[in-house]
Amino acid sequence: MNNQILNSKAGRFYWKVTEYPKILLFIGFLIILSTAIFIPTIVRDTTVDAFIPNEDSVKVYREKVKDIFGLKDPMVIAVINETEKGVFNPKSLKLVYDLTERIKKIEGIDPEKVKSLSTENNIVGTEEGMEINPFFENPLVTQKESDEIRNAVMNFKLFKGSLVSRNGKGTLIVAELLSEYDIRADEVYQELLSLINKMEVGDNKLFVAGEGAVSGFLASYIDSDAQRLNPLAALIITFILLFAFRTLRGIILPNLMVLAAVVTALGTMAAFGVSFYVITNALPILLITIAVADGLHILSEYYEMVVKFPNESQRKIVVRTMLKMYRPVTITSITTISGFIAISISSYMPPMKYFGVFAAIGVMSAMFFALVIIPAGLVLLKPRKSPLIKEQNKSGETQSDFFGQFMSFLGRFVISKPTTVLAIGVGVIIIGIIGITKLEINEDRIKNFQNGEPIVLADHAINENFDGTTYFDIIVETDDYEGLYNPAYLNKIEKLQKYFETLPHVKGSTSIADFIKQMHKAMNADSQEAYHIPDDPDLIAQYFLLYTASADPTDFEEYIDTEYRLANVRIMMNSGLFSDEEYVKKLGEKYILENFNETGLKARMSGRASIDYQTIFQLGKNHFIGVFFSLLAVLLLSMISFRSIVAGLLATVPVSVSILLIYAVMGFLNIYLGLGTSMFAAIAIGVGVDFAVHVIDRFILFVREEKRSLKESFALLYPTTGRALFFNFIAFLLGFGVLITSSVPPLVRFGFLIGVSVSASFLASMTILPALIYFIKPTFLMGRYTYKKVVLSGSVQEELVKISVKK
Amino acid sequence: MKIIKNRISRIIILLIGLIFLGNNIQYTQVPQNNLPTGLEIVQNVNKRDDGKFVSRTIIMELIHRSGKKRVRKTKSFRKYFDKDKRTIIYYLSPKNIEGTSFMTYDYHDPKVDDDQWLYLPAARKVRRISASDRGNYFLGTDLTYNEIKNESKVTIDDYTWKTLGEEVVDGHPTYIIEAIPVNEEVMDELGYNKVYMWIDKEIWISRKSEYWDVNGNHLKIIKTKDIKKVQGIWTSHIIEVKNFKSGHKTIFRFSDFDYKTKFSDDLFTKRSLKRGL
Repeated sequence: MNNQILNSKAGRFYWKVTEYPKILLFIGFLIILSTAIFIPTIVRDTTVDAFIPNEDSVKVYREKVKDIFGLKDPMVIAVINETEKGVFNPKSLKLVYDLTERIKKIEGIDPEKVKSLSTENNIVGTEEGMEINPFFENPLVTQKESDEIRNAVMNFKLFKGSLVSRNGKGTLIVAELLSEYDIRADEVYQELLSLINKMEVGDNKLFVAGEGAVSGFLASYIDSDAQRLNPLAALIITFILLFAFRTLRGIILPNLMVLAAVVTALGTMAAFGVSFYVITNALPILLITIAVADGLHILSEYYEMVVKFPNESQRKIVVRTMLKMYRPVTITSITTISGFIAISISSYMPPMKYFGVFAAIGVMSAMFFALVIIPAGLVLLKPRKSPLIKEQNKSGETQSDFFGQFMSFLGRFVISKPTTVLAIGVGVIIIGIIGITKLEINEDRIKNFQNGEPIVLADHAINENFDGTTYFDIIVETDDYEGLYNPAYLNKIEKLQKYFETLPHVKGSTSIADFIKQMHKAMNADSQEAYHIPDDPDLIAQYFLLYTASADPTDFEEYIDTEYRLANVRIMMNSGLFSDEEYVKKLGEKYILENFNETGLKARMSGRASIDYQTIFQLGKNHFIGVFFSLLAVLLLSMISFRSIVAGLLATVPVSVSILLIYAVMGFLNIYLGLGTSMFAAIAIGVGVDFAVHVIDRFILFVREEKRSLKESFALLYPTTGRALFFNFIAFLLGFGVLITSSVPPLVRFGFLIGVSVSASFLASMTILPALIYFIKPTFLMGRYTYKKVVLSGSVQEELVKISVKK
Repeated sequence: MKIIKNRISRIIILLIGLIFLGNNIQYTQVPQNNLPTGLEIVQNVNKRDDGKFVSRTIIMELIHRSGKKRVRKTKSFRKYFDKDKRTIIYYLSPKNIEGTSFMTYDYHDPKVDDDQWLYLPAARKVRRISASDRGNYFLGTDLTYNEIKNESKVTIDDYTWKTLGEEVVDGHPTYIIEAIPVNEEVMDELGYNKVYMWIDKEIWISRKSEYWDVNGNHLKIIKTKDIKKVQGIWTSHIIEVKNFKSGHKTIFRFSDFDYKTKFSDDLFTKRSLKRGL
């Protein structure tokens, strides 16, 4: 035996490995420890903007626009009253006043940038003068005064639909955060929530929404999710190991690999200062399941060896185990890594890029632990059987439990009805192609939260009553200093607004032109006929000065720049659905191209909605390229690993079928290909290919190296490797299945899709792939001549096999 | 080796010493018994003569945090009517607002709303505009109406005053005083929950003051520079205001002071507002 082992390079390597187990274990612990220390420094980034790279031209422009106009993503508090008078009654207005004052006192809120009915100025003209005053300053108003306030604000176009709802049932309090609190929006959000819970609301309803609220909410969502999901996944995996081996080492050693994979991935991530994004939540679960798979296969083989060689030393058994396992473990790891790296390279979104990189690092570390640390750990123990893998039958093979028998049954089915199996496979492919035609690339951000969550209720309330939470900013740019005093340009802005307001889901718009019209009207004793842009540029200049008589130096900032050269026209939409945004964007750009295309005047679209649009647009564009490259990488790597083109193609078949099936499921179930769901492909390819690699590797071992017939190989494959793959599959299924209990809907959908894909990969690897092998009888297994010359005597046949294998 | 050890131990002792010292060092501005009280200091500030009337040219530079700016040149007249005060400002440039003018009657009694009028030449109309709150910003600058109204003086009744210590500012010895609004209402009205002022010991002018908003966020700083005697009256020629929250900045440059040439009360009427300079 010793000689046999030392004959090969791998044998000599494992003889060495088993000589210094303690040192290797120490190195293993050192690796875990040295990366673990970085984990506490992980930073969260739950903003939607994180899904677009900083150098993206749309994002660059958006940041520039935000900077010029001092745009912030504020917290929005909605006060809604469904009674007849709406919010225009003394009690509701008192509530608005009190809330405004109390919100100003919240830490992190800029008290000078809290806007509500009680802070915003009304501009009204009188016979001899002009009043610029808040709509109400005294918290105690009568019903008559409330009615007057209603009239006043309904006459002020800039606030109608945005500050108050057009139906009078609601009003908003908009609060900006101090810049240093932008990354701590969740704290402010929690403070706001606890404030509105404390308020005496009467028959009013209060809601908190806004961009800051969304990312604040997401941050706390994800924390609680991660704290629940990951331990649950680990627990489930442990149970599966218990079912598979019912031994302590069978549980501890794979868990050690799991720990190594997760800790090194997250640790290096933290060390490189990469943020923890929404989708990073799926990374630990992914690594838990991948790492446990290697452990499952190695220990499965180990327990079979213990039964087969009852009289050998533990060291020899471990070396035998590793000699059989190092190749499939290496190949599965390398193909998985290549799939992740390909996704990382071809992905447009930074969170996906990083996901691919750190998943690859985690798998690498799992591979190192599987190949070196696990044998080192095993060799320190005494040989012991698993109560579940025992006895030998007459042919000298290990007898199996229920799971093994079940797999044997499957194997017999495949070999007896290969045509049926392949026909079913072709059927699935056809259904898949039909499903793909129904697949829709789309996204609705608010659907990323569960129904009934405060943030969802707030979004509904605001979209229903006000002009909406989604917006485009259209930047109108003139060439000259103070170019926007030009009445012709202001009239064009007015027309632009009118055009956009005809588009679906666009409910309102605001611009500097609205201010000018309001002031012109006020200067002309509030006559409705004066509600237009005056013809005299000097008058417009003087109106601006007039307004500043009681305004903040930065009051107009969000509408016009300091040089009065750039104007920001805000278009409000009550839908955040990508396809709705796309429609408005396309028509809007066409209008701009036709009407803002002269020397001295240009316009360009920006705003929250344009970032959303760009994210999903790029996602749609890059998703399929990514999947293609990832499959290609897996194909190339398996070709190289097996040194055979056919073997590489065969390894890619099951995973391709599974990807096709997922698109079909998404198409038929109307699940959008969006932010959360698009990443399934990377993972489906990465983990799905492993089943096929194990199957092909075993066929090579049985047929090519141990020179068994195909039939015999089938009978051997299913109860041994098949059984291990079955547990591997169950580990994947339940590990990712944990995601279905997540409180983040995209992760739920993601978990479901991964479940479908892993099931498809597993089934295809156990049915379509062997059936194909049975049909093709590929030369990388059978050799070129063996097939024809089976009639020759045994020894000659063996010689021929050797010759053909050498070729 | 021994030397190194000695050195290390000496450094350690030094460091420990520094840490303990650090804990004992406080803001140098410990109130001392021989310093005048805050109230005495601001009373001196308000006693200072700033002329019964004055005319001057003011250039306002309004600077956005991006560095882009708007520059406006004005000529202004101010006159005391007993304890009340009237001001008129004529815009000279830029061209499109030339002739625009702004007039206020500030009443000493805080209960009486101030009166304000504005004349827009392009509309050829004088418009009475509603009184601004004391904490409102003045004509797009970073100073509030209250600060414009007080010029280099203070409203003593708004705050409780406390002397914090002494410091040298731009080479001039000053007293540092702290002003805390007397109640929440005043705080909300002014927009500050705390003010520090550095008052020149000799001429009783604030050389620097810092402001915190109602939530205690650092809000702005006002620096008074180039203080010279003009016709016997101490006069600052540059006021710089920087808002920390918005990044916005205003620089006022004063010139052509005239405390001597008298002007008639008729200057402060709607008619002269319309007539212009």
